Amino acid sequence: MNALTRTGLAILIIIIVILAIGGGYWWYASSQPGKTTTSPSTTTPQTTTTTQGGGGATTTTSPTTTTAKQVTITVIGPWSGTSAEYFKAVIGNFTAKYPNIKVNYISKRAEDLAKTAPLQFAAGKTPADVIITPWAWWIVEMAKKGYVVDISDMINPDDYIGGIVDKVTYNGKIYGAPFTMWLKPGFWYRKSFFQQHGLSEPKTWDDFLNLLDKIKQIPGIQNPIVTGDGVGWPESDIVEHFLITFGGPDLQYKLINCEVKFNDPQVKDIFKNKLVPLIKNGYFSEPIEWTQAVDEWWNGKYALYFMGTWITGRVDDPNDLDFFPLPGAKGVVGGADYGFIPKFTDKMDAAKTFLKFIATEGQMYHVAGPAGKIPTYKKISVDKLWKPMQSVYQKILNLGMEIVPDLDDSVGGDWQTLFWDQLKLLWAEPDQVDQILDTLTQQHPACQSSS
Amino acid sequence: MFRGLWRRSGKKRRGRSKKAIIITFLLPELILLITFVLTPIVGTFVISFQTENGYGPDNYYKVITETSPDKALVLPKNIESLRPPPWGALIHNIVWVLIHLPLVVFLGLALAYLLHEVKGSSIVKTIIFLGMVIPMIVGGLLIRFMYDGTLGVVPLLFKTLGINSLAKTWTNYPQTALISLILGSVWLWTGFSLTVYSAAFESLPKSYIEAAKIDGASGLQIFFKIVIPLLKHATIVVVVMTMLWDLKIFDIVYVSTLGGPGGSSNVMALVMYLYFARALDYGRSAATAVILALITLIPGAWFIKQVMKSGKEKR
Repeated sequence: MNALTRTGLAILIIIIVILAIGGGYWWYASSQPGKTTTSPSTTTPQTTTTTQGGGGATTTTSPTTTTAKQVTITVIGPWSGTSAEYFKAVIGNFTAKYPNIKVNYISKRAEDLAKTAPLQFAAGKTPADVIITPWAWWIVEMAKKGYVVDISDMINPDDYIGGIVDKVTYNGKIYGAPFTMWLKPGFWYRKSFFQQHGLSEPKTWDDFLNLLDKIKQIPGIQNPIVTGDGVGWPESDIVEHFLITFGGPDLQYKLINCEVKFNDPQVKDIFKNKLVPLIKNGYFSEPIEWTQAVDEWWNGKYALYFMGTWITGRVDDPNDLDFFPLPGAKGVVGGADYGFIPKFTDKMDAAKTFLKFIATEGQMYHVAGPAGKIPTYKKISVDKLWKPMQSVYQKILNLGMEIVPDLDDSVGGDWQTLFWDQLKLLWAEPDQVDQILDTLTQQHPACQSSS
Repeated sequence: MFRGLWRRSGKKRRGRSKKAIIITFLLPELILLITFVLTPIVGTFVISFQTENGYGPDNYYKVITETSPDKALVLPKNIESLRPPPWGALIHNIVWVLIHLPLVVFLGLALAYLLHEVKGSSIVKTIIFLGMVIPMIVGGLLIRFMYDGTLGVVPLLFKTLGINSLAKTWTNYPQTALISLILGSVWLWTGFSLTVYSAAFESLPKSYIEAAKIDGASGLQIFFKIVIPLLKHATIVVVVMTMLWDLKIFDIVYVSTLGGPGGSSNVMALVMYLYFARALDYGRSAATAVILALITLIPGAWFIKQVMKSGKEKR
């Protein structure tokens, strides 16, 4: 190859590189949603929809789409396996009511969705017409970027359990529709196990310690309480329950907003005098993968398990199941799944119809099955709940426990994973409690912005 | 004269058609390379400098000076002593290289030497190579269960030996989490070095070894003075590929520990992921990616230099 050929080839390559990069940038820039919409406040619904009763026909003033035609929407949700089956019961009832809308359900964890969806949104695309996720903070983050449809006209906060809608409200606008919720009410046990060993629910903190001592003496018991492990979230539920019990439900809100810091003497006291001694004395097991822990606890290797109400649908006999909170607890952590509509959907009316359904009557079909959930929509009565959940919910009401938001779900972001990870460290190294609480304070986004 | 002109124009035509052939063959690869390799690299580099106030090196500064245990590259805050981990993701990657690399090279070489020309050795090699074949996510899960206090083979072994301090879930403790992942990845990656060394052994000129035997060299002398120098190129491949594996390690950490507990098994690729998927901070994620890429370029460049050197030697 002579010098001229080489030079020519080099020039050609440079031209191709410049054209490819320039073309790519032009395509990227032209597909930016910011070109058409600059803030969430401008992401108003493109159409107005009126849903008719009975036949479920939906009329619309939109010239672009109409749900009177057969339309298929894609819904992404966090449920898989049996949990997905419970949700499909909701979809079944929806399609029965709205035969002109078909629903294609895709299972995707919140974690996995967070990796891909923001990039798809940035490119002006959406992976689904309706997305359901337990991460309210993430919906708000997406709304801040202008990717989410404002559904303030669809959701009346007064129809929902207090505080639930606030988590998906940004700048006075509602971006998420609450679906059903779970509760994390306390330590679950088998009634038959307690009966067999003459154990009873504790009424005071000393009773609780005595109960743990008694359980420890039972042959075959490895630890009184099994600690579930995922990436650390089960430990966070235990910690939150201790904080609410000994600091009151208000403390939860104050920690979320950094009005009280994690290294505050009040919080330190709860950690050092209540929780850490239990960990050090071996009342808690090592963290075990949480589904494996369900089986081992149910089979009698452990006596107590702190878990959410979804556990009712994961045991062989939910009638043998009961729970007790820490004595004196006046709050119970509850969290909901939320649905939202990405603004890039081209099936807006159908998506809204579906979202409205799951935020209202659709919840009834979810709580009627063994999903272990309660409705967030107040117009659904308790007697619609699955029987084992009715007694759980009734017990929570009788104990006068206030529903408070999940601490780490509310703060969200990378602090949530840090929180889980630091608590895993606490279980391994309880003596490092001071450093752990300092780290949680220093990295808390609300504490950083206030300082 | 006419004949001369015709010859010259024929040469020109041949030259042009040669150029056309070169361009035809190069173009598809170039387009693919630009679309799928070059553009993302340039894009990542640009994003790494994007900040709220325009462009600047802020992301790099913040990533390097970050002290949160889940994202610190060097030393996290609130750590009173240097033992046990966390020491910061970059330091963990270096520890990974320091322990993993010699073990993989040694085990691969020793196993290849021991299994060389042994009947039925292919079965053993296949079993060892299985670690390479399974997806890394599955590998991570296997590691997690391998060190599980109730199910795992490693704690069970120590329990049998009466060493109760190690008969626990290794991935739950900051003292053992990092080392458990490193040793687990030795199991996964040794298949690679074994395969490379086995292939290199097959190509060793037997005459050298036979000549050494005739001259009265011992087995050890043959191994160290003849075999190892002849395996230089295979060793370069194993060392570089293992270093790249160690620096880019992600899957097994993500599945087994997510960098915990307390950031004690965190690595750079996971930090990049956390910025990206959790903090939704693409600028810092891209800055971490660029830093990681620059670090991996060191062994990469050395490798390319060695390959080119050996090419020249052959010529």
